[in-house]
Amino acid sequence: MSLDLDHCITCGDSAELAIVVAVGEADATVELAGRREQVAVELVAPVSVGDRLLCHAGIALEKVAL
Amino acid sequence: MKYVTEFRSGALAQKLAREIAALVEPGREVKIMEVCGGHTHAIYKHGVEDLVPAEVDFVHGPGCPVCVIPMGRVDDAIALAERPEVVFTTFGDMMRVPGARGSLLEAKARGADVRMVYSPLDALELARRTPDRQIVFFGIGFETTAPATAITLLRARADGIRNFSVFCNHVTIAPPLRAILDSPGLRLDAFIAPGHVSTVIGTRVYDFIVEEYAKPVVVTAFEPLDILQAVVMTLRQLREGRCEVENQYTRVVRRDGNPRALAALEETMELRETFEWRGLGWIERSALRLRHELADWDAERRFELPGRRIADPKACQCGEVLIGAIKPWECRVFGTACTPERPIGTCMVSSEGACAAYYNYGRLARRRERVPV
Repeated sequence: MSLDLDHCITCGDSAELAIVVAVGEADATVELAGRREQVAVELVAPVSVGDRLLCHAGIALEKVAL
Repeated sequence: MKYVTEFRSGALAQKLAREIAALVEPGREVKIMEVCGGHTHAIYKHGVEDLVPAEVDFVHGPGCPVCVIPMGRVDDAIALAERPEVVFTTFGDMMRVPGARGSLLEAKARGADVRMVYSPLDALELARRTPDRQIVFFGIGFETTAPATAITLLRARADGIRNFSVFCNHVTIAPPLRAILDSPGLRLDAFIAPGHVSTVIGTRVYDFIVEEYAKPVVVTAFEPLDILQAVVMTLRQLREGRCEVENQYTRVVRRDGNPRALAALEETMELRETFEWRGLGWIERSALRLRHELADWDAERRFELPGRRIADPKACQCGEVLIGAIKPWECRVFGTACTPERPIGTCMVSSEGACAAYYNYGRLARRRERVPV
């Protein structure tokens, strides 16, 4: 994962580590490189506040074990 | 920065560099292909190349989806964008990629409604808000990005949003690797495989590389220490005569990938019989299209496309760069006629392209000054 902002989003290797701060129905609010945004969590549900997610292009791809 | 600083420690990098130096046999070159453009970018951005002995040669692979899109598909995208009823949405990286008729950015300047989005879900939201327009999303990327398109399509179907469609150009990572391994005269010793694609597809996808071609594979993350550790793991395999798929990125990647992501892809997309890759030519079963059940959301079915095949510019050697046959600085137009400001080839357009990485980080020639370890 990388928190650099100069990566190519299409690539997918700009996928970013985000921390869940609120959980909705199919989406969660995550904090990601200092900003907050909504991501779809169908692929990793259920998620809880504090979970670390690998996010890319508006969806969470995987939970991260750190 | 938490979870980043730990993977960029100079002291640990020096330790790994010493391990690498001890594993290398002096004078025996080891060619390691880093498949993914993200790895290429990280290697040069963080100076990883300067921490390894000259015997370790990083060969840059085809894992940049922007770089492998053929010019004809860019022209098709422009044709879609120029339709008066269409709002064409795309990741920003595709805006400057040249087709035969210019780029999407130039089409936008001529009046086409082209908008950058961060996610296909943003394009779907735009479709919800503007029901009188046709919102087309330019689906580009490997298996890392394709699940976002799949989730968006499933939501569009569930919510009955009919003014949204996808121009699908998603590609898969394994077939081009096989094509490279089958290339005559190309010598590679091992692969550093892409971490985030593997998050979705798992590590088992690479089994054919060890079983059929006897090349070690290490699935790797993107921080400099990750890449250095992957080089250690690769050299250890070679030194010990092992040939395995190893996983350096255990904090995220599993052997079977993410089954739910794979199921979403399976539900929405299927393999095309063949697809053209820039530099690699036509590769069978290497790209995805929407399933018949999703035909209502398929821009290729909804709109008529030119579908013309366009040859790459003669001066451009992106094809040879993409299979690792030449280094970017060996291309005849690198850094002169082809620069990030005025790119001829896709490897210079994409920030993950090997040519852009070399150009942006000053790797303009063979000369390298290594960091003493």
